Amino acid sequence: MDFKDYYKILGVESDADTKAIKTAYRKLARKYHPDVNSEKDAEDKFKEVAEAYQVLKDTERRAEFDELKKYGSRSGGGYQTPPGWQGSQRSQSSQGYSNQAGSGYEGDFSDFFNSAFGGRSQGFNQSQQRGVRGQDIEIELPVFLEETLQQSEKPIAYILPSSQGGQVPGIKKNLKVKVPQGVMDGEKIRLVGQGQLGSNGGSAGDLYLHIRVVPHPLFDVSGHNVLLTLPLAPWEAALGTKITIPTLAGKISLTVPPNTPSGKKFRIKGKGLKTKAVTGDFLAIVKIVMPAKTSTESEALWQQLAAQEQFDPREEWSAKS
Amino acid sequence: MSDILINIPFTELCKIEGIERELVVDVVEYGIVEPIGYVVDERVMEGRMVGQAEEGQWLFETRSIVWIQKAIRLHLDLDIDWIAVAMVIELLQQKSDLEKENERVVQLLQRFVDSEKTL
Repeated sequence: MDFKDYYKILGVESDADTKAIKTAYRKLARKYHPDVNSEKDAEDKFKEVAEAYQVLKDTERRAEFDELKKYGSRSGGGYQTPPGWQGSQRSQSSQGYSNQAGSGYEGDFSDFFNSAFGGRSQGFNQSQQRGVRGQDIEIELPVFLEETLQQSEKPIAYILPSSQGGQVPGIKKNLKVKVPQGVMDGEKIRLVGQGQLGSNGGSAGDLYLHIRVVPHPLFDVSGHNVLLTLPLAPWEAALGTKITIPTLAGKISLTVPPNTPSGKKFRIKGKGLKTKAVTGDFLAIVKIVMPAKTSTESEALWQQLAAQEQFDPREEWSAKS
Repeated sequence: MSDILINIPFTELCKIEGIERELVVDVVEYGIVEPIGYVVDERVMEGRMVGQAEEGQWLFETRSIVWIQKAIRLHLDLDIDWIAVAMVIELLQQKSDLEKENERVVQLLQRFVDSEKTL
């Protein structure tokens, strides 16, 4: 177990007053709160800061900590709570703390905190008295875009963590899930009671399936619309053409009019994603592509066209300068 | 059946660790998360008539759970009032929407420009 210097963690001097401690805590808590800071170690840092504040904001605990600090700094290497150390009596039932307004984070603290201030007894008592609900489990469920067009049934397999403190190995679970029509990326499906089993008669947790729509090789999704990039040769764009394009619901034919510019969108109504309430459209977006090599004959034809055409593609530039 | 999968009723919500009844009422009263409907006699009524429903009848989208938890944690851990929490949550949601949108646009853009990832 490591000794934790709460003053160092909050970045304050050991004679700092309550106000300075509060200010330091607020600044750091705001910075590292895992709900606003997505960095990996933010949560650990936040817990450390919260723990330091729980001790230093309280005159009694702070005095105890100062005692421990004298002892701890002498004993070099691994830290041991002094033999016979009792901690403050009232921290055994820390109800007094949690009911204070704005008492802050009360989550799991370090071994050092628990051995010095007796926080461990809390959680223990609780689980003795009443049943504990099993943990919720969240797993990712990859879904193909095609599968969202109608309700689909997917098999899922996951492992239920054991509820007896890791003594018993987890249980493998296999379920078949009905994935509703029109589910979107990021949506969550909840299966009641399929999470970890409760202990002492507590109810089981739930299973959450986090829907992840797998990126499609051809199609992109924007809201309920489905987008397709439509490559055209320059002469197809110039002369117009009739082509067959793939959609999620099969092939359809599309007429490209003459003089179609790159980036032009063709909207096919009602061929996008469907939910009960909305039906999206299908959008084909033109991208003009060139052959990698041009034959001598073709080049001659392009030359002929270039000599003949008055079109200035950079008209906007010359108008401004 | 599929309705219940992507929604969660109020009473079920309050069974989730760290989510207390009064706090959920605060979260809704400050407009941080809105119920998407309510349940009467086991029938799901969707829509904006939620104001008339008792809190016990509220129905939430499953994906709201994570925002309710965030709001409650911010309120308790950082000791900030609900109005500030509402603003933080709104900005976090905007950020997450923008990140998703950005991911989508980058993916689409890559179909149009040379496949070098950096622009």
